[in-house]
Formats: sequence, structure tokens, C-alpha cells
Amino acid sequence: MPVLIVVGVLVLLVFWVISLYNGLVRLRNRRENAFADIDVQLRQRHDLVPQLLETVKGYASHEKELLLRVTEARTAAMAATTIDGKIAAEQQLSSALAGLKVQVEAYPDLKANQNFLQLQEELSDIENKLAAARRFFNAATTEYNNSVEAFPGNLIARNFGFKREVMFDLGEDTRKKMDEPPKIQF
Amino acid sequence: MQYVGLDKQIRKNNFNSVLLLIAFPALLLGMGYALAYFLKDQHQMDPNELFLQSLPVVLGAVGVWFLIAWFGHSAFIRMATGSKTLDRVENKRVYNLVENICISQGMTMPKVYIIEDDSLNAFASGINARSYSVSLSRGIINKLDDDELEGVIAHEITHIKNRDVRLLIVSIIFVGIFAFLAEVAFRSLRHIGSGKKSKDSKGSGAIILIAIVITAVAYFISILLRFGISRKREFLADAGAAEITKKPYALANALRKISGDPLIEAVESRDVAQLFIDNPKPSAHKSASWDNMFATHPPIEKRIELLEQFM
Repeated sequence: MPVLIVVGVLVLLVFWVISLYNGLVRLRNRRENAFADIDVQLRQRHDLVPQLLETVKGYASHEKELLLRVTEARTAAMAATTIDGKIAAEQQLSSALAGLKVQVEAYPDLKANQNFLQLQEELSDIENKLAAARRFFNAATTEYNNSVEAFPGNLIARNFGFKREVMFDLGEDTRKKMDEPPKIQF
Repeated sequence: MQYVGLDKQIRKNNFNSVLLLIAFPALLLGMGYALAYFLKDQHQMDPNELFLQSLPVVLGAVGVWFLIAWFGHSAFIRMATGSKTLDRVENKRVYNLVENICISQGMTMPKVYIIEDDSLNAFASGINARSYSVSLSRGIINKLDDDELEGVIAHEITHIKNRDVRLLIVSIIFVGIFAFLAEVAFRSLRHIGSGKKSKDSKGSGAIILIAIVITAVAYFISILLRFGISRKREFLADAGAAEITKKPYALANALRKISGDPLIEAVESRDVAQLFIDNPKPSAHKSASWDNMFATHPPIEKRIELLEQFM
């Protein structure tokens, strides 16, 4: 009889470990799925940037340094393969684009250009969606991190190679802006 | 961060949906048996046998009804409210608001419909990812600013997310079947009353009795359903919307504007009315406590008050 009880407890323990492990796998997969949503928006942004740069060049050709910075950031972002790598590269691209947005304020002709206005509207649309996708991704990441670090998940996580993952932030300066829900401009 | 109580509400709604799906056929069979038992004298048959004979017919009829309603409900509701599809090209503002909220919640985007009505109202419906939809009136799109409209859409998205809409549609289908039975019972009652004098007065007496019983049961169940699908879900959806948009004051403003003119002329049925963000059929006698007791929506002042506490 005592043997049966011991066996029973062991079996329960094994099932418990399995369910904890599966829970961690599920959360990790959800985070990766959430990144796929972000990826869609990022790719659209990559496609849009060359057109935007082409338009800007026609009016502000001497802003070479700025244009180059955006181009380089885009190339680096497209070359990144891992989630962490993409996050880092996209942060560079976002800040380069933000710089461009500030700089074009000095060119009234450019700001009156229909094509440019349309591109900028599209870009702001993509960035709103990006902000929304990022909120979901960060929520999924937080949930995963909590499970990895809190007891008893941390016991399983340590032994099976689950580790804390990074959030998708846009650096310190833009974080405050991005914490707000997306704002639509027309 | 999850709004406390939402997960619980999802589980509760799923459980209630399943419960309804089981309880309803059981109830119907019980009524069928009672009917067979009362009619046994008239037909000179064993009630069990009569019951078993009519069983396939009854189950078949209800099954067909349910399937039609299950697959056709979105078309029926669109007819009942006179809504039509809203394209991205036609109204990018609204489409983007819905899409962005869905992306931030990681859910599939529901269909977006528009009701051509200058009043302010909105509702969600559907039973699965394919049929989920959000309908907005022309008035609510034009008269609310982006933040307010975002709050309203987030409210409807929350209804979809925590499965309120599915439970509601299931209950509407069932109540509809009972209402139909009651209608049939009353018709046949009138028919007997006005038609040729029945020789077997005992039989028609039984039918009258049964008709009354069926009607009473149908009405009783519809009341129970309205209480079971608690009005709390409106508060939960408001809280969920505040959680999604982080702008409870915008939704409070929206509710204030909506409460001024929620009347959608196209909406006739009270069953459809319970879907809306605010009752589209405000009653003439507002003070009556009867109305309060059976109201499909909690008073809007109370909802605004709660939203303002979020700040």
C-alpha cells in the first residue's frame, strides 16, 4: 500500500512537471506568433522607406547624412534574422525616420507635395499598427517572462533552457510616446 | 496586465453557452413528454409510444431551425438592423480604429458593418471568428471623435473577446424557438375557439391548457435568460474597453453622447436590442420599475460613473 501511494505521488509530480513545461512552451510560442504580427508591419515599412527617401531627395538633396542614415538603418533592419536582432535594428530605423520627420519641417515645398503627404500618411498608418502589434507582443513577452521567473516555473525554465526575453521598446525617448495608444492622423 | 475578471467571464460565458445547448433540448423533450401524456386520452395511445413516435419529428424540426439560425443569424441580424458592409476604402478612419484595436489584442479582425441611421448606437454579434462582426451607426461614426469612437469599438471588441456575443446569439435562437411554439399554441387555440364546435371538449381543453403551459414556460425561460446573461457584462465590457484604450474618460464621453439619442428606428425586436451598446428602443414610460426589472441594459449614468472612477 505505501508503495502505491509513493508511485501515485510520483506520477502526479511527473504530470505536474509536464503541464508546467507545456505551459512555458505555449507562452513562448505565443510570443513568437505575436512577433509575426509585428513583422508584417515592419516589412511594409521597409517597402515604403525607399519611396519616401526618393521623394525627399527631390526637395532636400543636401540632407545626405540623414538620408544615408535612414538607408543604412533600413538595410541593417532587413538583414537582421533573430527576433532580438530585429528589435535592435528596427529601433535604429525608427529613430532615423523620426529624425527625418523633424528635419523635413524645414521644407515647405516638400510638405506640400501630394505624393509625400500620401507616403507620410501611409507611414503613420503603419506606425500606428506597429504600435498596436507591439503592445500585444510586449504583453505576451511579459506573461512569458513572469512564468519563466516566478516559482515554480523558474525550476523548470532553468533546466530546459527557457530564459527571459526582451521587450520591443523604442528606446528611452520614444517610449513615453509609444506607451500611449495609437493616434490616427489624417 | 489583464483586467481582473475578464478571464473568469470568458470561462463563465463558455460554460453557460454549453449549458444552454444541453438544457434547451432537454427542456423541449420534457415538454414533448408532458404533451404526449396529456394527449394520451385523445389518441388512445400509450404516452411513451406517442412520445417516441413524435420524437424524430420534434428533434428534426428543432435541429433544422437551429442550423438555419446558427448559419444565417448574421444575415438575419443584418436584415433586422438594416446594416451593410463598411469597406476600408470607404471609411479608412473607422476601419483603422477597428484593425488597430484587434492587432493590439492579437485577435482576428471582425467584419465591420454600418447602419444608415443618424442616431448613435453600435453592436457586436457572431458566434465564431468567421462571423464576428461590429456594427456602427452612421451617426456614431460622424458624431464621435476618434478617442470616443475607439472606446465604443473597444467595448464591442471586448464583448466578442469574452464570448458575450456567442452566448447571446445562442440564447436568442432558443428564445425564438419558444416564442414560435407559443405563437403556434395561441393560433391553434384561437382556431379551436372560432372553428367548429369540437365534440371532444375534453381534448380541446387539454390543448388550451398545454398552450398556456408552453407559453408560460417560454416566457419564463426568456426572463431567466435575460437575468442569466447578466447585465454585468455591460460593465465588464466598459472596463475591458478602458483597459484596451487606456482612455476611460473617452468612453464615458461617448456614452454621454449616445444616451442623448440611441434610437435606431429599424430595430423592432427586443431580442436584437440586447446586442447594442445602449438600448436602441428606449421605452416611453421610463420611470416604470417593470421596465427596469427587465431592462436589457444597466442605466447609462451608472456606467459613466464607474468609468470615471477608473481615472
